[in-house]
Amino acid sequence: MTKENQELWKAILGEIETEVSRAIFLTLFKHTFLISFENGVMTIAASSVMIVDLLQKRYYQIIKKTVDKHTGLSVKIIFVPKTIFPEIKTDDKDGPLFAGEEKSTIIGHLPRVRKEYTFQTMAVSSSNQLAYVSAQTVAKKIGTAYNPLFIYGPVGVGKTHLIHAIANKVFEESQDKKIFYITSEGFTNEVVEAIRTNDTARMKKKFRNVDILAIDDVQFVAGKERVQEELFHTFNTLIDKGAQVVLSSDRPPSEIKKLEKRLSSRFSGGLTVDIEPPDFELRTAILLIKAKKYDFPLTIDAAKKIAEHSQDARKLEGILLRIMTEAQSIEGELSNNIIEKVLYNNNKTALSYYHPDEIINNVCSFYKIKPTQIKGVKRDALLVRARQIAMYILRSRLNLSYVEIGNILGGRDHTTIMHGVEKVEGLLSGELFSDEVNKIISTTGGNLVD
Amino acid sequence: MRILLLSENINKKLPFVSHAVSSRSQLPILSNFLLRSQKGKFYICATDLEIGIEENIPANIEEDGEITVPARVFFEFISGIQKGKILLYTKETSLFLESDGIKTVFQTMPPGDFPKLYEDKGGKQGTLKKDVVEKNFAKVVFAASQDNERPALSGVLFKKEKRGSFSVVATDGYRLSLKRDVSVVEEEESSDGVGFLAPVRLIKELISLKNNGDIGIYSSKKNNQIMFFQDETVLVGRLIEAEFPNYEKIIPSDFSSRTVLDRRELHQAVKSSSIFARETTNIIKFSLEKNKITLSASAPSLGESRIDVGAKTEGEENEIAFNARYLLELLGNIEEEEVVFEMSGPLNPGVFKIPEDPNFLHIIMPIRVQG
Repeated sequence: MTKENQELWKAILGEIETEVSRAIFLTLFKHTFLISFENGVMTIAASSVMIVDLLQKRYYQIIKKTVDKHTGLSVKIIFVPKTIFPEIKTDDKDGPLFAGEEKSTIIGHLPRVRKEYTFQTMAVSSSNQLAYVSAQTVAKKIGTAYNPLFIYGPVGVGKTHLIHAIANKVFEESQDKKIFYITSEGFTNEVVEAIRTNDTARMKKKFRNVDILAIDDVQFVAGKERVQEELFHTFNTLIDKGAQVVLSSDRPPSEIKKLEKRLSSRFSGGLTVDIEPPDFELRTAILLIKAKKYDFPLTIDAAKKIAEHSQDARKLEGILLRIMTEAQSIEGELSNNIIEKVLYNNNKTALSYYHPDEIINNVCSFYKIKPTQIKGVKRDALLVRARQIAMYILRSRLNLSYVEIGNILGGRDHTTIMHGVEKVEGLLSGELFSDEVNKIISTTGGNLVD
Repeated sequence: MRILLLSENINKKLPFVSHAVSSRSQLPILSNFLLRSQKGKFYICATDLEIGIEENIPANIEEDGEITVPARVFFEFISGIQKGKILLYTKETSLFLESDGIKTVFQTMPPGDFPKLYEDKGGKQGTLKKDVVEKNFAKVVFAASQDNERPALSGVLFKKEKRGSFSVVATDGYRLSLKRDVSVVEEEESSDGVGFLAPVRLIKELISLKNNGDIGIYSSKKNNQIMFFQDETVLVGRLIEAEFPNYEKIIPSDFSSRTVLDRRELHQAVKSSSIFARETTNIIKFSLEKNKITLSASAPSLGESRIDVGAKTEGEENEIAFNARYLLELLGNIEEEEVVFEMSGPLNPGVFKIPEDPNFLHIIMPIRVQG
């Protein structure tokens, strides 16, 4: 059954479909196939003798007419009873019972845990090595090595990846282990639901009856008293019976505000490891891994260029995806132009989130002055400095025009702004000064950082 | 066509033929019976293109001919005539029926539109005893898949083992039923012996044959057909040309726990547990202990049940969970007093055996339960 034949028969069927009733088409024609077509003889397969009989008796003329029209020949048509089944592409076409040794041991995957987040798919460098190794140890020696394991670090460094990797590893090794992964929001919801339905016993059973409890973004329980209390007791029960607890957060336990002392001290009771933002080399490696996952030919140079752009791995993936879409839509090679364009657009869209007032507010709070002062007419040294830095940031990061900036800063002339921006740019070579500026910028958001 | 027959003779056969009438076919002709009298014999046929049934009914034939008649109307009407002679004859495109005080006319469709059930019988492969079919096949066919997406699994496999015997197997990918060493009288000249994959519906009809006569198996590779002949009845179906999964490979050779149970007691316990199970995921958990197994099921909105069934367990204590439907179907299709359950770990297929019928085997894939 060649592809051409398939196409031909599809076209013929398409025409027959318009000539016979829908019922007849579905029952008789739908599952026919063109097996061969040579020397003016066309062989058609239908699934049973009865269908063959009906096709021959009642529909030979229609079929022949259509076939002749499409082929431009006078074709003899033969029908044979033969069932041709469409290919089934899935691996488990015979069901889980026949899924084979390796597969039958792992049915499905853990709820809420992403299968692709494993230790193997994680890029490791000095910034996350300690966390990586600790996580591996925990997966190997459940409840005995480090309990709890507390992983912290800023967004997009791979905390969730590590937690999922632990869960996946344990699940793969021993099926009788009960693994429970949940975000702290999910945990909160469970507690609220239990209180609402007055069924805390069920919830307690659910969380205390596991071998591994992993809670992601645990900092969000801060300020929620009942949730913290529940977490505290769950935590104690689990640790007492030797079950493993893994937690992640964006900061160390001691720095989570509104977290009860007893919880904070228990969180620090095991191993607390931090993951630093990925360094440049790791970011490049992550980009290459991601590109490979999507089958996208990303060169090292291109990866480096993108890696320079942001510290957040998740954001890097976003940029990569956009570059891939761009490259696909113009069907061309991945040129530097595309990368530049996406990076540029990325900057613009990211920056457009910030209102000029936010920048001004940040500058003001840094120097402990009031926005009215920065927009006012006084020319104290501190005010001038703050004002000029605000000009510089608004110009260089928000790409506002001198006139616009002048209007924002209390109706100043555009030449005043030009002068201010130039002055700050000139001073930036000084380390202390540039630190100061960067600090102000970073309080506004990572997007603005170079 | 003009024939005379006895109402009891046609009433005896008509219910069975109507099994092959398509219930929801989009082709009107398939909701008809084909009535045909030919060479001194009268036949009624029905088909839904998947299977076909033909019955030969004793009749006094005055004139040959054929006609099709709407099956449901004809069947209902005939079954209302309890006794006496029935005269059937055609005039132009109508079928007339006359009996004691009854005169009816049926609208018909041209018999030429009705598909031929079979071209030729093909070669005879062997002969099955009716009691062999009854005793063995029902334990197997229920495990076949109901959907047609996986063609091989919607069939029942007849696999030749050795001369004079074959295995019957069916699976839907989640459970598998196997009966080995079913005896068959094979034809001398048929070299392949008995071996084919037939649609489960056809085999179900084969089981429901009312008569006790021997069943001849015929198959035609050329026509891709399998046929069963018993007395005056012909059952036709297509052969499934798909590869049946390698079932031998998945039969566990070993177990870590083995328990012997009373079939009736277990069946009742599963039935009761399933009342809770069916509300949610339909899962029943087995906990095997030395002298009992405990069946537990729960539904958050209803409550939960725990039922102990007396058992003799060897090996380790164990837990496993199954879909209640599979258990119910298995236990409802066997009649023996005792069942043996073997398992090795909560994630490996559980095996059910019957001590009185050592050639039978049933495997069910467990459900992994978290928490």
